[in-house]
Amino acid sequence: MIKLEGVSRVWPEFAIRDVSLQVSEGQYLVIVGPTGAGKTLLLELLLGVHHPDAGRIFVGEREVTGLPPEKRGIGMVYQDYLLFPHLDVARNLAFGLRYQHRDRENVQRRVNETAGLLGIQHLLHRYPYTLSGGEKQRVAIGRALVTEPRVLLLDEPLSALDRGTAARLRGELKSLHAAKKLTILHVTHDLSEARQMEGPVALIKEGRLDALGTADDLLRRPPTVFAATFFGAVNLYKAEVAETARGRRVVAGPVATESVLAGDGIHLMIHPDEVVLIPAEPAESPNHLPGEVTALTDEGNYVAVQLRVTGLAAPLTAYVSRHFVRTERLELGSMVTADVSRAIHVLKE
Amino acid sequence: MNASGGQPGVREIGQAPLQSGERLGATKRGGVSAVSWLLIFIPFVVVFLLIGRYLIAGVVLAVTILWAVKDRKSKRLPLAPLAIFSVCGGLLIFFIILPILNLLFTTEPSRVVSTALDPAVQSALAITLSAALIATCVSLLFGIPLGYVLAREQFAGKSVVEGIVDMPVVIPHTIAGIALLYIFGRGGILGAPLKTHFNILLSDSYWGIVLAMLFVGLPFVVNQCRDGFLKVDPRMEYVARSLGASWLQAFFHVTIPLTRRALLSGAIMTWARAISEFGSVAIIAYYPKTINTLLFEWYNFFGYTYTKPLSTLLLLVALAIFISLRTVATFKRAEY
Repeated sequence: MIKLEGVSRVWPEFAIRDVSLQVSEGQYLVIVGPTGAGKTLLLELLLGVHHPDAGRIFVGEREVTGLPPEKRGIGMVYQDYLLFPHLDVARNLAFGLRYQHRDRENVQRRVNETAGLLGIQHLLHRYPYTLSGGEKQRVAIGRALVTEPRVLLLDEPLSALDRGTAARLRGELKSLHAAKKLTILHVTHDLSEARQMEGPVALIKEGRLDALGTADDLLRRPPTVFAATFFGAVNLYKAEVAETARGRRVVAGPVATESVLAGDGIHLMIHPDEVVLIPAEPAESPNHLPGEVTALTDEGNYVAVQLRVTGLAAPLTAYVSRHFVRTERLELGSMVTADVSRAIHVLKE
Repeated sequence: MNASGGQPGVREIGQAPLQSGERLGATKRGGVSAVSWLLIFIPFVVVFLLIGRYLIAGVVLAVTILWAVKDRKSKRLPLAPLAIFSVCGGLLIFFIILPILNLLFTTEPSRVVSTALDPAVQSALAITLSAALIATCVSLLFGIPLGYVLAREQFAGKSVVEGIVDMPVVIPHTIAGIALLYIFGRGGILGAPLKTHFNILLSDSYWGIVLAMLFVGLPFVVNQCRDGFLKVDPRMEYVARSLGASWLQAFFHVTIPLTRRALLSGAIMTWARAISEFGSVAIIAYYPKTINTLLFEWYNFFGYTYTKPLSTLLLLVALAIFISLRTVATFKRAEY
């Protein structure tokens, strides 16, 4: 449905570099990335208010690279709504219809339909400055939907709203997406939002597409160090690749695993919630790491245990239950063994 | 006077204008009433003290301070510095309003009316107002595009361009008149070909007046337009275009309506500036006489007393413009 082929655009402060991305019809793609990564600019390149220096953009079968925004059939909703303040809600909704040369009744019907869809019928005669944030965002979404775009771009649509409103609108966006069979690109910096939208997630880093996958994939098996860090990885170690008789092994101190990845910049990641703490073992077995407890942090639902492990560059964190801490009498200085054999994930720089 | 200036945050239109507007309005109302009491009444006290009416001065002083304290809601400044600063500022305010009020209230209304009925005055007034209106329209026609470019684009030499736009404000207007005369006068670089090819003579003609007024009034329109456009988030135009509007439609259906107040106040400022222009107009086109030229001539020939009703008349015109400007600037501000 949407295809970007090697799209690049350089501004003095920002850049989009060689982004290739394909979004199929009816997909809900969430785009995440740190502030300043170029997420909004990517949307604006798609929208057509900026044009790429290189690369091509397709909507459906049609190439739209050189087309102005009004010829692309793409709707846009910004974080700060940007309702037209000089028009009331009804005229905001009808704004896009005036360029479609419809008769008055048709416009009226479409406006009412859209207002009904978003539950804003009672606001039609109010001006934007009298609306709450959630109401404004509903109107902004309605305004974009009324012209029946094939693609909807959402630039942090829920970020300015309070939690409850954001959660409600998130649900509504999902059902709108399902009902209207829209293709949606949704930019956010909120990871939980990315997870809850249940679509694929694209991670942008400094104007480049860094990783693409389901939220779960990116969280559990991030392909890059940046993705791992962005999604909050705790135990991340530089590793080396060693060719052994049994095949290629990735080694970071006492931790070793098999891997197909090769080359420089290989890292190991150890999921703290997959680490199993067992009483200190006298003999060393592979990926059973003896360590000393250096910190115990109560995180509310679980306890983060920090271990100093000989050979590992940074402390190892494991998540355990409170019950475990109590029964095993874990305290600062306790010696335990961490079984990380099921917690290892290999990734590249 | 300035409808759009003064507030920080350029792109505030889409961003929760309600709360900030309300908050501003609330403190402003409370603060202004207290400060304005001090600003306006304490100078009266000073003057009454100077002329020896101690009792009246004392009463006004007491009432002023009582009101200021009672009304004071903003509490940004402690009362003592507020009072001292307000007295200093108040003297300035007094300096402005005293001559104006004096002129208004010491002129016999009947003489103002009879002056207004004088055909020479009427024709001068018509020439002034219409020439100023034309100058304003022309400056809008050219000033809106320039203001838009200055607001939206970053380019090398932008500050030079902005400096040039402001030049007519700082150049003494007599000099502006002479400089214009060298270009548009009988033998000027543009004046000579205009005369030979189109038989248009700008010196000592109605169009010369328009030209001089345009020159001195342009900066106001351009700057107001630029400031107005700066307040419209470009993304507002992007949204309009995503909804199917062409660039031009987005400009006329979104950008212009959102800046209309700035445009209007810029136009009124230009018009007012044009009406009050004397120096350059008198040099380029002493004839036909504008109202200022007439005033200057009467003052030279007949003296001070004779000119008073005409001055009052002109003052009333200027005040009418001023009040309309203020009304435009504050009218339904909450909407945005």
